[in-house]
Amino acid sequence: MSRYLRMGALAGASAILAGTLGIGAVVAQDEVEFDVYDLHTVNPGLAFTQMAADAFMGQNPGVKINVVTLENEALKDRISADMAAGSPPDVFQSWGSGVLRQQVDAGMVQDITDAVADIKDEISPGAMSLYQLDGRQYGIPYNFGLVGMWYNKDLLAEAGIEAPATTWQEFLDQVQLLKDAGITPISIGAGDQWPAMFWWAYLATRIGGQEAMENAIATGDWTGEAFVRAGEELKRLVDMDPFQPGALAATHDEQQGVFGNGEAAYMLQGQWAIGSQRAQSASGQGIGNALGWAQFPTVEGGAGLLTDVFGGGDGYSIGRDAPPEAVEFVKYLVSPDVASVWQSFNDGTLLPTNGAEQYITDPILAEVVQKRNEATFAQLYLDQATSPELGGAINAAVADLIAGVKTPEEMTQTITEEAAAAAD
Amino acid sequence: MTTSTGRTTQAGRRTFRQGLGPALSSAARWIVMLAVAVVIIVPIVYAFLGGFRTTGAIRKDPVALPDPWMVSNYTDILESDLFWNSLRNSLIVSVFTVVIVVLVSALAAYALARFRFPGRETMFTIFALGLLFPAAAAILPLYVLLRSVGLLNNPMGVALPQAAFGIPLTIIILRPFFRAIPVELEDAASIDGCSRFGFFWRVLLPLSRPALATVGILALVGSWNAFLLPLLILGGNDQWTLPLGVMNFTQQYSQDLALVLAFTSLSMVPALLFYVIAERQLIGGLTSGAIKG
Amino acid sequence: MTATSSTAPKARSRWREWSLPFLFMLPALLVYGLFVLVPIAQAAWFSLFDWNGLEPLNDFVGLDNYARVLNDTVFQQAAWHNALIVLLSLFVQIPFALWLALMLNNRFRGRTLLRLIFFAPYVISEVITGVVWRLLLYPGGMVDQGLESVGGGFLIHEWLADRSIVMFTLFAVITWKYFGFHMIIMLAGLQGIPRELEEAAAIDGASRRQTVRSIILPLLGPTIRVSVFLSIIGGVQLFDLVWATTRGGPANASATMATYLFDVGIVRTRMGYGSAVAVILFIVCLVVAVAYVRLVMRRDTDGAMTAAEN
Repeated sequence: MSRYLRMGALAGASAILAGTLGIGAVVAQDEVEFDVYDLHTVNPGLAFTQMAADAFMGQNPGVKINVVTLENEALKDRISADMAAGSPPDVFQSWGSGVLRQQVDAGMVQDITDAVADIKDEISPGAMSLYQLDGRQYGIPYNFGLVGMWYNKDLLAEAGIEAPATTWQEFLDQVQLLKDAGITPISIGAGDQWPAMFWWAYLATRIGGQEAMENAIATGDWTGEAFVRAGEELKRLVDMDPFQPGALAATHDEQQGVFGNGEAAYMLQGQWAIGSQRAQSASGQGIGNALGWAQFPTVEGGAGLLTDVFGGGDGYSIGRDAPPEAVEFVKYLVSPDVASVWQSFNDGTLLPTNGAEQYITDPILAEVVQKRNEATFAQLYLDQATSPELGGAINAAVADLIAGVKTPEEMTQTITEEAAAAAD
Repeated sequence: MTTSTGRTTQAGRRTFRQGLGPALSSAARWIVMLAVAVVIIVPIVYAFLGGFRTTGAIRKDPVALPDPWMVSNYTDILESDLFWNSLRNSLIVSVFTVVIVVLVSALAAYALARFRFPGRETMFTIFALGLLFPAAAAILPLYVLLRSVGLLNNPMGVALPQAAFGIPLTIIILRPFFRAIPVELEDAASIDGCSRFGFFWRVLLPLSRPALATVGILALVGSWNAFLLPLLILGGNDQWTLPLGVMNFTQQYSQDLALVLAFTSLSMVPALLFYVIAERQLIGGLTSGAIKG
Repeated sequence: MTATSSTAPKARSRWREWSLPFLFMLPALLVYGLFVLVPIAQAAWFSLFDWNGLEPLNDFVGLDNYARVLNDTVFQQAAWHNALIVLLSLFVQIPFALWLALMLNNRFRGRTLLRLIFFAPYVISEVITGVVWRLLLYPGGMVDQGLESVGGGFLIHEWLADRSIVMFTLFAVITWKYFGFHMIIMLAGLQGIPRELEEAAAIDGASRRQTVRSIILPLLGPTIRVSVFLSIIGGVQLFDLVWATTRGGPANASATMATYLFDVGIVRTRMGYGSAVAVILFIVCLVVAVAYVRLVMRRDTDGAMTAAEN
């Protein structure tokens, strides 16, 4: 049912795309072919990417675009393998920062500073900066948002809770109330590990603030007081047994499904959750109007501010051997007309293109965008801000903490050791 | 070394049976086997039946028969490009793999079985060693190699390594089989002026059909089900083989449980069909001396 | 024409002895050498470096990676998991397969169908197995529901999320998938045992159990030993099924050496380190294989050796 509505919307969108004549038309000489490594495995993103590719091909005869769609983890594996073999993909999903730096240092990524000069002013500088290294541009963002606390208004009301918690202690109290009411407090996808990392990272950001975070990433020393305390606070939460059954093995998709089915009250996830919890739910509707969003609570005595955010974005980087048409395609994707189509889906993608915001009809997304724009400090996902080596280790260490395998001290110790190993 | 194939006379069997206990033990045997068969088949049947229901129905009542029987999940998939494309790709890769590994291994096994030359057993051991190396470990160097040979995004880039890793087991199975062919046949052939290769091609291979079928099936199953190598080598959504298609499909429609089950069920069908057709050959092939070393 | 009898002349025809078989082996050697031996050698080479797969190969660390691997608790856990699987396979899966093979060895109606059913899981891909079993084992899924409906609700656990039992859950799935393979091997071996022997024993008044113990099992020895061998090697190399079902989780509770290799070596881009794990894995298999062939299969290969002399 909703699937047909979506199909109809997509049909309409493709008509609009077809109408974006003149934009994206590039002088293509002979047959040019390139791959796009894309992670949108679910509609509308899935169909949209192909449609955008088709539209671009329509306007640029002689260009052939192969869209390769893979799930998150499989996509990372694939990109990794391609890079390792010295043949980087042409257009590939990138989260910027530390991982991108590694790829750039290996000479796998094109410097597109000149190519994007004409669109720079159209895109949010904060988003662009995620893909900048040493003043040069190595990618184009198409999504830029933050991680927040999604909640189910109905379930909170059932437990007698009026509003989501604003402080950490309040949050823990609410978790207890929810448990007493027989409601699963939190949905988490600890099986994929990075959803677990979100909790610790946010706590650390709240407790340590900008300085501590930047320091740790720069020096590789994660044994600071803030990080240990973040681990301890997380452990307090974990000891309350607040997660859904099977949480340790749950994937991100399953996590969204649990929340979308109304089986858990809180979920800490990125802005895409608005669409994912719908897509992954049994009914296909998600929790509908019961959906609420709040910022992560502050921690008493922490140096971080409520307006500090943790999140990041998605973007596309261009491989070293890709043709110029590849860059044009990505520019096409974030150009105002195309971006507006994408934004109008309101599936959680927050286009960084100026003016795209007006197409946000969902009030929650509007609030997310507002908080994003007001942010005093933005901490990028830790597994992207560092390197695949360290990031993977951080994710695993936090997952170990949640599984009860490591203590907070052991966790920070492991992370620091891995940082040292990764540094040389 | 041709052995008995286990066929006995009716009379012989009846005598044997009378020596057994009462019918009770054979009933007990039946119950056990049936129980095991049920446990084995339940997941498969569950997947097939699940495809005929709706997701909402499955979530509400995971264990129930379809009511009504929704054929649309299956027909939708059978009409989709993704399914037939990945089926076709799996077929291409698998056929290449099987042909290469069986041909190449048969030639080598023949040499190792019926020739005498210095270092023969060492040669055999070198081939057998490949059994010990996990393919997952070779992925990275393999990938670099395939790139430099230009075999990325190419079915042969998957078929060749798969065939290569199948050579050890194939040779191990084929060699004793070839050795079992009587020398007299070969002598007779050479007297008639047949070259060794001629003997190989026109006499040995046809005689070894069961063994060839066996190794062929093992190679086919291995290739059909592989997902790591295709994941890293093949490019583009339309080059995926079936396991990758399943993986992707599951991600794409993970909320539509019924559809996912329908897709996985359909993906099982080709493999099961192969097996049913070739099953007779498989048992025959494993019987005649190969396993007994 | 070089004949296979022992009247072949020596010396000059030593080259001719080699050239023809060499030609026959050439295609296999090429494919095998290029796609198996070369990568193995390269993996050994990579293992001596600290390498993320992207930068040039210039950070030589010698055997440092090996020391780190062997000292890593996660690797040790993974190795223990492999050992567990091998042990469980030997004491549960193989006897089970043998038992069923014995039962299926008699001709009765429906036997072919049963044989088909038992072997079916082997033919299904690991990915599909992982997908379907994850669904079945999901909290509140079919397994849980089934247990409840027969009053076994108290047995319900978090099959894939409980760290203390996930390995056993996986073993159940592994058995489901692979026992048919071993059963077929045993069946093939059983069919090579002449009926007359069993009949003679029956006429002499031997019970079924005695027959099995004293006649069938010993004759089945070589077959069982092959099955055990394949089972051990398979257990040590276990990757696909684990990766497709749990990815080695949760928190490495179901990690095997091979999933550890892939997780750290490729996903976390520590390629040199991962290659060291690969070499270690290979050496383990090698040691096991050599020891097994020497100690256990000696009498089987003795026959093969003497045959080889001809």
